[in-house]
Formats: sequence, C-alpha cells, structure tokens
Amino acid sequence: MRAALVIATKDLSQRLRDRSAILLGLVAPLGLALIFSAIIPDAAGTSFDVNVGVVDNDRGAVAAGFTGGVLAAVEADERMTVTEYSDVAAMESDIEEGTLDAGYVFAEGFSDDVEAGRGGTVRLISNVDSNISAQIAEAVLDGYLAEVDAIGIAVGSALVSGGSDVAALSTKAMDIPPAVVLADTEASNRELDVTTFFSAGMAVFFLFFTVQFGVSSLLEERFHGTLPRLLGAPISRWSILGGKGLTSFVLGLTSMAVLAVATTVFIGAEWGKPLGVAILMVAGVLAALGIMAVVAVVSKTPEQAANWQSIVAVVLGLLGGTFFPLSQGPRLLSLFSKLTPHAWFLQGLGDLSSGSGLSAVVTPVLAMLAFFAVTAAVAVVFGRGKVLAP
Amino acid sequence: MKAFSITAVNIKRMIRDPSTIFFVFIFPMLLILVIGAAFGGGFEPKVGVLNGGSGPYAEAFIAEIVGNDEFDAIDYEEIDLLLEDVERGVVNMGVVVPADYDSRLGNGDTAQVEFLGRLDQAVVQYRATIEAIAASQSAVFRAARLVESEGLAGFDEAVATAQSLAGTGAGTEVVRESAGESVFGEDLGQFDLGAPSNLILFVFLTSLAGSAALIQTRRLGVSRRMVSTPTSVGEILIGETGGRFAIALIQGLFIMVGAAVAFGVRWGNLVAAGALLVLIALVGAGGGMLMGSLFDNDEQAGSMGVFIGLGLAALGGCMVPLEIFPDTMVTIAHVTPHAWGLDGFAELVRHDGAIGSIGPELGVLALFAAAFLALGTWRLRVKLTH
Repeated sequence: MRAALVIATKDLSQRLRDRSAILLGLVAPLGLALIFSAIIPDAAGTSFDVNVGVVDNDRGAVAAGFTGGVLAAVEADERMTVTEYSDVAAMESDIEEGTLDAGYVFAEGFSDDVEAGRGGTVRLISNVDSNISAQIAEAVLDGYLAEVDAIGIAVGSALVSGGSDVAALSTKAMDIPPAVVLADTEASNRELDVTTFFSAGMAVFFLFFTVQFGVSSLLEERFHGTLPRLLGAPISRWSILGGKGLTSFVLGLTSMAVLAVATTVFIGAEWGKPLGVAILMVAGVLAALGIMAVVAVVSKTPEQAANWQSIVAVVLGLLGGTFFPLSQGPRLLSLFSKLTPHAWFLQGLGDLSSGSGLSAVVTPVLAMLAFFAVTAAVAVVFGRGKVLAP
Repeated sequence: MKAFSITAVNIKRMIRDPSTIFFVFIFPMLLILVIGAAFGGGFEPKVGVLNGGSGPYAEAFIAEIVGNDEFDAIDYEEIDLLLEDVERGVVNMGVVVPADYDSRLGNGDTAQVEFLGRLDQAVVQYRATIEAIAASQSAVFRAARLVESEGLAGFDEAVATAQSLAGTGAGTEVVRESAGESVFGEDLGQFDLGAPSNLILFVFLTSLAGSAALIQTRRLGVSRRMVSTPTSVGEILIGETGGRFAIALIQGLFIMVGAAVAFGVRWGNLVAAGALLVLIALVGAGGGMLMGSLFDNDEQAGSMGVFIGLGLAALGGCMVPLEIFPDTMVTIAHVTPHAWGLDGFAELVRHDGAIGSIGPELGVLALFAAAFLALGTWRLRVKLTH
C-alpha cells in the first residue's frame, strides 16, 4: 500500500511538471466548453416573438370571428403581435424580409363559402426560416377553423338527417361543449441545458485522455528500463498496478472536479447536487480508467498504446453523445450509445438535474461500475501476465 | 527533386502509422455518417402514443396522429416508459388515449386525452397540432349529439353520418405558402450540411496535430543532417511544406470523393470546390509549419494541435452551423479560416455558385495561407540555421 502511494506520488509530480496532463485535463475541455456555450444560443432562454400579418378582403362574419375574436385575444395575451394589411403584396414583402413570421389572407367571399357549406380557403404565407413561429401562427388559425368546421359538420349532419332550419341548428351546435379535450400532464425536464451539456460532455470526453497518463506509464517504465527495477524491488506487483491505477484515478477525478467548479463559476453550468455529481464522477473515472488500462496492457509500445487510446476515446466519446446529444437520433444510435460510459454519465447528470433524488444515479453508476469491473479484470489478468512479466 | 523526396518521406511516415490512418481517413467518414444519421433526416418531432382504449373511436384518434405528417409517431405500451422518454427528450411529447375514451363518448360525456409534455416553448406548438386533432374528433361527436338531440337519428348512425361528412374534406382549408430564401437551402441532402464542416475540421486538425512530425524530425537530428548535406535550407523548407500540404490535400480529396461516393454529398462546381480545397490545404500546411516551428516538444505540439484544431473548428462553425450562431459570434467566427471555407462551400452547394462567386472567400483563405506559410517557414529557417 505504501509502495503504491509512493509510485502514485512520483508519477503525479512527474505529470504536473509535464504540462500535457494539465492541457488535456483542464485547458482543452474548459476552452471547448467556453466556446460551445458562446456559439450556441440556449433554446430554452429565447422567447418567441410571433409577428403575424392579416389581410381581410372578405369582411364577412366568419373572417371577422378570427381577426376580431381569436387574433385580438392572442394579442391581448401577448402571445402574438398582429398587424393589419390592406394589400397582400405589402404583407408578402415583409414576410420575405423576415419582419413578419407569417401572414393570413382571407379572400373575398370566404364567409359566404363557409356559410353555404362550400368549405372556404385561407392562405397562410410564412417565412421559410421562421418554422416555429409560423407553426404557432398556423396552429392558431387551425384552432379557429376546427371550430368553424365542427359547426359546419354538425349542421351538415343534421341537414342530411332531415333537419331544415340552418340558423337554429348553428346556434344549437355552438352550444354543444367539446366532446374530446386535452388534459395536460406536465413532465419534468431531464435534459441538460446547453451550457451544462457541453461542460459535462467535454469533461467526460477529455477524462478518457487524462486517465491514460497513469495506466500507460507502465509501458513507459518498461520502455525506459525502469520497470525491471521496480519488479526487482521488494514490493508486490499489486503495488505497482495499484500505484499506476491510483495515478490515473487522482488525475481523472481532479480534472473532473476542477472542471465542474470552473464551468459553474465561469459559464454558469448547473451540474446538480454535489453528492450525486461526485458519485457519478467517481464511477465515470473508474470506467474510463478500466477501459484505458485494457488498451494499455494489450499494446506493445507506449506509442501504440497512445494511438489506440486516442482512437478508443474519440469513438466512445462520439457514440456516447459528448459532442452532440444523440437522444433524438435513430433508435439504433441511442442503443449503441448505451455501450459507452459517456452516455451513462450524461444520463445520470440529466436525471439528477430534473430534481430527482440520489436514487436517480443508481442505474448509471451501476452501469459505469460494470464497465470498470469487466475492464479492470481484463487489465489485471493481462497486465500481470504480460506487462509485468520479468 | 530533393524537396520531392522530403515530401515523399513525410507522406510515407503518415501512411505507416495506423492511428493516423484512422484519424485521417476512417474517423471523418464515421463522423459524417453519425451526424447525417442523427440530424440529417430533417427534424421531425416525435410523439409517443399510447392507446389505452380498445374501441373504434380511440383507434380513430390514434390513426389521426399516426397519419399526421408533421410528427413521427412511436407506439408505447406503458405510461411510465412514455413519461420517462418525454422527460429525457427521446420523444418530444406523449399522447395517451384513456381506457374509457369510447365509453365516455358513447354516454355523452367529455373524454379526456392526456397530453404529456415538458414546459418548454416548442411544446406549445406541438400541443396545438394535437389539440387540432382532438378538435376534429370532437366535431364528429358534437355533430352526432346535435342530430340525436334533435331526434333526427340514433347516435351510432349520426356518428357515421358526421364521420363521412368530416371525411369528405368539404370543410375549410388552409393553403400554405412560404416566402423568402432559406438559409440552409431548400433541398439540402441528409449529409450535405455535415460534409464540408468535417472536411475543413479534419484538414486543419490533421495539419496542426501533424506538426508533431515536424518537431520529431528536428529532435531526432534528421533536420541537422539534412542541412549538413549539400541541400539548401530553401529546398528543405519547400520539402517539409510540401509534405504538410500533400497530407492535407490527400485527406481533403479523400473526404470529398468518399463523401460524394458513399453518401451522395454534393460539392457544387468542381473547379471552385477544388480551388477551395487547395487553399484550405495550404492554410492547413501553413498552420502546421507555424506550430512545428513554435513548439520544441512534439507531444505538447500534438495535444496543443488537437486542442487548437477542435477549438478553431468549433469557433469557426464546423461543429455547430454558423447559421445558428448569435450575431456577434458570427463576426468573431470569421477570424478563423474555417468560417471562410464554410461560406465558400455554402455558396457553391446551396446557391450553385461558381469560382467567380466565391472570390472573397478564396482571397481571404489565400491571405491566411500566405501569412501562415511566410511566418512558419521564416521561424523554421531560423531554427534550422541557428
């Protein structure tokens, strides 16, 4: 145990002097998280100003029900800004320039068509890039037209079935309450906000590079001829493996902890409850360490190990969704992503951020510990038999 | 001639290293594939549907959602799973038709359909579409209730009448038109957005990280030995620059051709795209020479190269499209050659531009290349001769 500590202390001080550990463990992830948080507008923070225009050439009752009733109401609720136009071309040019998101056009005779049961057409012109605003504008129109249609269908059905007084039927139809309504169940948000996502994503991505310094130094010791001397010393092989593992663990955990604090202070990342985050970090560091140790012990030279470790780290990081969230992607991709500790780490943070208790991190932590158990076993068997063979 | 041999040695060194092969050739293609698969399909909101009822009315409601082309509908069996997926963002919203849906409608009661959504802006819009579906279903039963209360027909018969009336599409209609020019272009292929970004990202990344090779050459004394032979320093510098440039160009060509063949990515006018590629490779080569002359430790230069390469790529719009950057960041992005390269490809692919229409982009890239190459070779000459 003492020997392991001595080895770890020596390795750690060596890594501090060599600046690459600091670069990969702190500077790179922090720098990238800063850049990402600057270039991506946080969707949750932006409010939508929906600007719509309307041209009413119909001047009938049905169009007025929309312009005077529905639009006036949504404008009073401050959900939309409505501008009236007398000319379609003028409105269209404002939509093209993007000052308006969408515009409604009621053509002459619209109300007559609706009242005569001939349907009726409303034009909705939207700016190509105002997707969400234009869809809100469309939804408002759809809601009104659905009511118009409902009355039309009710009156129509009554007429088909032998009714005759259109005006009386319409009034009665309007009084019948909706038969199907939506009831809202509010779901909490388990996705991380953009800043936290990139802070955590970059931290766990570069973690796999940081932990390699400890486990790979076994190969360097052998390459430089210091390993036989360690083996010759009256210490157990476990101490040597333990010392190297401890180096990786301390480097990884330090980098994660410093990054969590730094991103919280500098860019306002919200990692969640410290205890839960700490447990996730420990499990994440162990998983990363195990995986990198396996790559190290199956490699022949330090260069080969470094090469394969970068490949493994980058591929797992990509599949694990550290650069972009994959949850919205195809099912297969999100299943693949569960084969990486990265995905479990980010899922654990997401669940934690939704306000659930510590129990939320149990599954992710167990998954990451499973990675550690399997890979550490492989690394120890290989390591003792091959790398530590005299 | 000697410069050519130096260039050739550089290329050979690259090809013999398996991790370089991976990062230079395999990884960029993998990334184009993953990004295309994850985001290229165009964004279609996903709705998880759970049919708790068993009757024909419930079926009709679900069918309306499944048939709606605004959404991608996914079936769920358990409400807990559905709620969890809504919370994780796997699906954008959930719709649950309750077990008593048909019976309540048959009894003249109001049926409640459950909408599971998170309180963010986008959900407002999705909810409106589901609400419109609920309203259209509601209309049928309101009509049937009117007919029944007027004593004109029985409920079931009235529902059938109303359904057939609703199905004729005789109601009002919305004609949708769009105006303006889309920033992403109208017919963007699944992989078209990711491919140019990746080309630029990787050519620079490889060039900057490749500066480690230049430092190794110096540290191992190869450069000193070359200088001691009757080879002018100029030739050595041209050879080393040629090596950086050749590697950048080979990688760029591979990504261009590979993406076109494997994923059908369009690059627009070939002459113009070729000119962009050559200039991007030259900027990369210059950047690599500069890094290689500023650092003396190859490991540090390698990790710094990866970090600077990724950082500039993110800042320059290769990881997140420039189109969604805040305005000030778009200006800052144009400090990087990446942003200019992306603008160039965007013009070629989305606006069918030719070499004449990307003059400013080519000019700025040429300036970057000239500046980097001049600085890099000057610093390296100093290091080699002192």
